[in-house]
Amino acid sequence: MSVKEEAKNLLGKGMDGVLFYQMKDGSAIPHLFTSKDIDEMPDVREIPDSERYPLSDILSKLLMRFSSAKFGIVARGCDERAIIELEKHQQIDTSRVSLIGFACSPELAKICSCSKPYTESLADEMNEAQEISRGIESVERMSTPARLGFWLSNFSVCVKCMGCRNICPLCFCKECSLQDEDLVESGVLPPSIPTFHLLRAIDMAGRCVMCGLCEEACPAGIPLRTLYGKVSEIVREELGYVPGTRGVKSPLEELGSSVGSDDDLKS
Amino acid sequence: MTNSIGEISRASLLLVVGSNTTENHTVISGKIIEAVRNGAELIIIDPRKIQLSQISSMHLRNKPGTDVALLCAMMKLIIDEKLHDENFIGERTEGFEELKASLGNCTSAWASEVSGIPVSEIEKAARLFAGAENASIIYCLGATEHVSGTDIVRTLANLSMLTGNVGKPSSGVNPLRGQNNVQGACDMGALPNSLPGYVNVSDDEGRKEFEDLWGIKIPESPGLTVPEMIEQALAGRMHFMFIMGENTVLSEPNSQKVIEALKNIEFLVVEDIMKTDTTDLADIAIPAACWAEKEGTFTSTERRVQHVGKAVEPPGDAKSDLEILVRLAGIAGAEGFDFKNSREVFSEITKVVPAYAGINYERIGTKGIQWPCSSPEHEGTVFLHEKKFTRGKGRFQPVKYRPPAEVPDNEFPYVLMTGRNAFQYHTGTMTRNSPSLEREAMYPYVEINPSDAQKESVKGGDMVTISTRRGQIRLRARVTDAVCEGQIFIPFHYREAPANILTSEELDPEVKIPELKVCAAKIKRGQSRGVRSCNNTFLNSF
Amino acid sequence: MIDEEMVDYRTVPTVCPYCGAGCGMLLEVCSGEVIGVLPMKGHPSSKGSLCAKGWSSPEFLKSSNRLAKAILREEGEEKEVSLESALGLVVENLNRVLEKYGPEAVGFISSARCTNEENYLLEKFARTFAKTNNIDHCARL
Repeated sequence: MSVKEEAKNLLGKGMDGVLFYQMKDGSAIPHLFTSKDIDEMPDVREIPDSERYPLSDILSKLLMRFSSAKFGIVARGCDERAIIELEKHQQIDTSRVSLIGFACSPELAKICSCSKPYTESLADEMNEAQEISRGIESVERMSTPARLGFWLSNFSVCVKCMGCRNICPLCFCKECSLQDEDLVESGVLPPSIPTFHLLRAIDMAGRCVMCGLCEEACPAGIPLRTLYGKVSEIVREELGYVPGTRGVKSPLEELGSSVGSDDDLKS
Repeated sequence: MTNSIGEISRASLLLVVGSNTTENHTVISGKIIEAVRNGAELIIIDPRKIQLSQISSMHLRNKPGTDVALLCAMMKLIIDEKLHDENFIGERTEGFEELKASLGNCTSAWASEVSGIPVSEIEKAARLFAGAENASIIYCLGATEHVSGTDIVRTLANLSMLTGNVGKPSSGVNPLRGQNNVQGACDMGALPNSLPGYVNVSDDEGRKEFEDLWGIKIPESPGLTVPEMIEQALAGRMHFMFIMGENTVLSEPNSQKVIEALKNIEFLVVEDIMKTDTTDLADIAIPAACWAEKEGTFTSTERRVQHVGKAVEPPGDAKSDLEILVRLAGIAGAEGFDFKNSREVFSEITKVVPAYAGINYERIGTKGIQWPCSSPEHEGTVFLHEKKFTRGKGRFQPVKYRPPAEVPDNEFPYVLMTGRNAFQYHTGTMTRNSPSLEREAMYPYVEINPSDAQKESVKGGDMVTISTRRGQIRLRARVTDAVCEGQIFIPFHYREAPANILTSEELDPEVKIPELKVCAAKIKRGQSRGVRSCNNTFLNSF
Repeated sequence: MIDEEMVDYRTVPTVCPYCGAGCGMLLEVCSGEVIGVLPMKGHPSSKGSLCAKGWSSPEFLKSSNRLAKAILREEGEEKEVSLESALGLVVENLNRVLEKYGPEAVGFISSARCTNEENYLLEKFARTFAKTNNIDHCARL
């Protein structure tokens, strides 16, 4: 069944809209399809590999804005991982969400160094997850001074556009530590080295689902996938946690949250 | 730009002159960073230290206004050492001998004396440039906002042709346009001397075509530029003025004079999206829709004609400038303004501007088309002058170095430069109303070199008064080695300390660009009266 | 399922309003309101990047400093007038000045911030109706 037919089914079952991409003059752009325009929903093969957007973040915004509406979403593996992680952070109420999954092209999976370029629903049909490289090895092979130099020179070209934060589906905080004057001086380029980038890397620990949208959005070409990949590797090895998987919350989320009752946390 | 933004990352050498690319054209600076990662040499000519300096092969921090001297010496060395591209010069250009003769006295020693750059550095830069496979020149207002603004553009073109770096990918002479549609406004003939498509108003044949098309006689002598209109207004000879979407009070040099001039106009109409210091002076202020509230096209610095989509309705009575102009023309009974939408206007544009002839909204789509595009089959043009120059052969235009108009003296010992920062834009009409940008760069400031700060007993954060022959403003000092000794820099975004109160209105004699990058100033330490106290300086100056 | 009219989300491809680089962007629109911006991934030159200004461009849309009504200033007093009567006054004064002083006494400043179509129209109006070449914009700044 095509995603369009699946989406139509969802609309028939009471969903208010299905989030995916619309093809407009050769570009894929995020769009919420309703019964009015569902016939225009493209096939997943029409979406260019290089035109991914943070659909999970858009879904989260829509759920908050339309507080009783239900949505479908046509999702890639990374969108699904983000949705799972966002639910753990109370940013998405998945009882109001239905997911139609699809697998990325092998080419895109390679570009993204993605170990799971498909949704859970498709896991049985897919080949065993492959070992992946996020460029971490080549950086780790450097001597310590060379590695420091590598990162410092990358941080030195940062233009503080905030694109990495803005496009990140897991950056949902109302108050952002990157805008804390005591941590990062405002109005200065490049932003405080290395504080700015390490702050963001720490924020990504236990959250980053490796979608790679940050690196794609960076005008300065900073290898953010490698940076956050390393952080994720540490969290996985030391704490056994992989963001975007079902089950327990990130152990990092427990830090500082044991005081007070669960009700306090929920309110 | 003769070339395209995407080509920058594949250049083997980039010469960046008077452009703080990271702060003003961020996404383009990303392509420069990419080129350097790919192994390109980066040479910067700029008095100020900029973020790109960190990754440059060479940064020539010359005295402001001396670019022409530096570049002429580089050309002389290239010719003396026979590093020029003889084939290209022979086949594609004319006037080489004149150029060569004009460079006779431009020795590296002379240029070193004028610019403050050591001879060895000048020669190294020249050899690097001449030896590059694909050398691309990128320049911006730091190069052109001088009395010698036209000369520097000619010099850059000369250097590019001399080394055969025109008409091929990842080379060329590439001005970065500072505003979203300054390219388009020029293409459309919003200029006193040229009709749409750069047809000179004094060109009888060209003008006749427009007269036939529009069915009306057009005056044949060029009109007034903005600075000239301001002069005329001051002299009481400008009685009606219509300003569409510009905050002239803050953007033009010598603000106090501009205010006087605008007040002197009997009837001033200002259209804008915001209340500004210029709408405050208007007899009628008209509310305009902003870019998200209307449809149309912008033409980018790489000549890419792009579609602006309407996302939402404008607030209140605000309308697009297009609708306002069509209604205005309707009331006036003007003929030839019977347009229902921007698409219809664009269709007329394609009939009068040959470079746009093959473009329509369908073809523009989401990716745009680069002019010239002569027919519906033409794919657009990635880089110009591939086989020949527009005028046939490229002509070398010899240039003689001219120093800046106002140089420091005992009373005003510092060179004042003005410009923008990364988080504000132009007069701040949009950015100062955007909280996440305003939080980054909320207060006006002046950059002062540490040794000058010591000399003037100024510490970072102190309030100082900067004055020139035209006026004074109070603002905070930012002590930094981003500026050289003897130089200060002020961003001009801030109405509470408007840098253009200070600037000189000395113009380039040919294109009337004001020398905003050099005037003489002095620093006086003021008592720190807190941040807000500077807010009234501007209003008090009325 | 809630009222269908209420649920909508679309993105509108457009161009950044700031510098001349012309980066592609998508404005996110919900119920007639811009709720965010995304970089246009498929744009030929910006390729999915924006600067700090581009990313924050929707913020000024709803500024309290927006001019939403035509304002007439007479003897130092400001008052709001309808757009129609404002345009009427513009034409009246333009005609009066043209008649009394001629086309050299009128000037038009167009804008590098406005569209090609708008620049073309103002240029055409200046030249064909006011019969003056006194039309310029801040290309030099």
